[in-house]
Amino acid sequence: MMHLFQIRYNNTQGTLMRILMAASRRGLSMSYVQAMPSGDAFEARLLLDVTEKQSAQLYRDWHATVDVMDVSSMLALEEGWAEGIEAGAHMPPASAGIGSYNRTALA
Amino acid sequence: MLRGADIVLRCVRAEGVDLVFGYPGGAIMPLYDALEGSGIRHILSRHEQGAVFAAEGYARSTGKTGVAIATSGPGATNLMTGIADAKMDSVPLVCITGQVRSVLIGSDAFQETDVFGMTLSLTKWSRLAKTIEEIPDIIAEGFYWARSGRPGPVVLDFPVDLLKAKVEFKGPSTFLPPAKKTNGHAKPEFWPKLQGMLQAAKKPFVLVGAGAKISGATDELIGLLDTLQIPACATVHGLGAIPSEKPYYTGMVGMHGTKASNMALHETDLLLVFGARLDDRVTGEPSRFAPDAKIVHFEIDPAQLDRVRACELPVVGDLKQTVSQFHNEVKHASLPDWSGWRGIACGLERAEVDSRGLAQPAIRFLDALFGQMPDDAFVVTDVGQHQMWAAQRYRKNSPRGFITSGGLGAMGFGLPAAIGVQLANPGACVICISGDGGFQMNLQELATVHRLKLPVKNVIIDNKYLGMVRQWQQLFYERNYAETDMSDNPDFVAISKAYGIHAELMGVEAVAGIDVPASTTKSLSRFLQSPEPELLVFECPKEANVYPMVPAGAALSEMVFEDE
Repeated sequence: MMHLFQIRYNNTQGTLMRILMAASRRGLSMSYVQAMPSGDAFEARLLLDVTEKQSAQLYRDWHATVDVMDVSSMLALEEGWAEGIEAGAHMPPASAGIGSYNRTALA
Repeated sequence: MLRGADIVLRCVRAEGVDLVFGYPGGAIMPLYDALEGSGIRHILSRHEQGAVFAAEGYARSTGKTGVAIATSGPGATNLMTGIADAKMDSVPLVCITGQVRSVLIGSDAFQETDVFGMTLSLTKWSRLAKTIEEIPDIIAEGFYWARSGRPGPVVLDFPVDLLKAKVEFKGPSTFLPPAKKTNGHAKPEFWPKLQGMLQAAKKPFVLVGAGAKISGATDELIGLLDTLQIPACATVHGLGAIPSEKPYYTGMVGMHGTKASNMALHETDLLLVFGARLDDRVTGEPSRFAPDAKIVHFEIDPAQLDRVRACELPVVGDLKQTVSQFHNEVKHASLPDWSGWRGIACGLERAEVDSRGLAQPAIRFLDALFGQMPDDAFVVTDVGQHQMWAAQRYRKNSPRGFITSGGLGAMGFGLPAAIGVQLANPGACVICISGDGGFQMNLQELATVHRLKLPVKNVIIDNKYLGMVRQWQQLFYERNYAETDMSDNPDFVAISKAYGIHAELMGVEAVAGIDVPASTTKSLSRFLQSPEPELLVFECPKEANVYPMVPAGAALSEMVFEDE
């Protein structure tokens, strides 16, 4: 299933490469990549053909990357994928919360 | 005004570092020039891989951040295996590399490699310094990321011109991490759901990994398990976290784990995982891993969740806090009686090690050796059959006492890592168990042992094969022993003596008979109590195998034994 991932990040050395490597290490073809300033940060957009499991793993790998601030995705339609549809069904690194400990964990 | 090299060392010292491992070269020379008087002791290895593995040994045995230094180009590339090893096994490690002059970067200059680029996928964080002014910030942030959350490796690359340049030094920096957006799907508490899962469970089981040690949560975990009285196993990195005498402890899990652990893991309906990645050596065939279980995964690194199997309840956080919170809730809860299940999981029919395997000379030798070592001894292993035999027979209750390259499985790890462990724990008994293959990958570090007069007790289990590969060739490749024969091994005793280290040979007859002969006991006692470095070569039968074994692609319940 084609997904358009949007990753907000601080544009520090190597962060964009680490974002891309999370996809490349899984042998995923990156049919579309765009990186650009977005507000006070940067945003990378990747169009990837991924399984549900790969999508979840990518979310978690990106969240664990230092200087990645946020990850979201859209289901990309064959036509007009750039607009996308907010899917919201993919799994971010969910945790049964323990309050303030979450921040430590994500460091 | 201080040189960049002086600033680097002052900032590293400010991070609490007083011992580093390294090997000098052209682009890092200014740093070596500044070492004297820095308050930092440098340990010269005989190969950069030796330095980085030693730094890992130092870090693994203490929980402190290990530091390895190398020059540009080949010096830096020789660090790669250690960096990858630290990533896999969550070891806090900072590697400092020299780089060619800033103006030459990208020109394929002499001894130039793109260390920053090459290590991007191996490191948690890295920086190529571009100005001398940013050095304090880079070092503070690098050390922060190396030791925070799930620890890992960091690479700091300094062009030689920055190390030579001078600037006014305003003191070390302190890094304050930016707040990171937490998961919006998080639920307020994990206990209500977990309580329901526990109430419904008929066969709960606990799996403990390295995370329990890394977070310093072993006491909390033992307290929890004492309350729960649920059968519990450990991964190879979790060994020592649960005292082996606990009645609920079933031993090591995984490819060469105990029958009790693997069977319980296959049968459980509720698996509580504490700080483990659940890699394929632990799970067996992932699609058949704990097939009937719901999984509760306590983990500090969200990236480790759901890699193999989706977990029903992820609990992300530092185990020291989450386990305590869990325990506090359990104390006041009414839980089912699991004694029947515990009796099955920990019963005699699932004795910890297959009795047929106990007759193996290597097992008998290790039992005799480990039986005499002090409780606070460190056992460091290389990678291969000896590693698994040692893991199977390790019985001490020291959370950081068993040190091995588990995730990466890097041969050559043992000897240099033992050097780091011994330096970090000067009064401790440090035993390094190697195979004849792995020992030859970094045997040059005997020179380091000799120079520093480190009383490391080196053991080579010598079967004149790359034993683990040969075992797989025997079992799965119709005994086609392609390129695993090492019958022309050098004389290890002579090599050791050439390095100025006393060495002895011990044959299988030393562990023959029903009881280990008194002469063997005496010999091992002398070996362990020697204040000097020692090397002992144990000649193991050539075709000895590690059992039980879960074949690749099989479920944990399909382990095979010696005669099958």
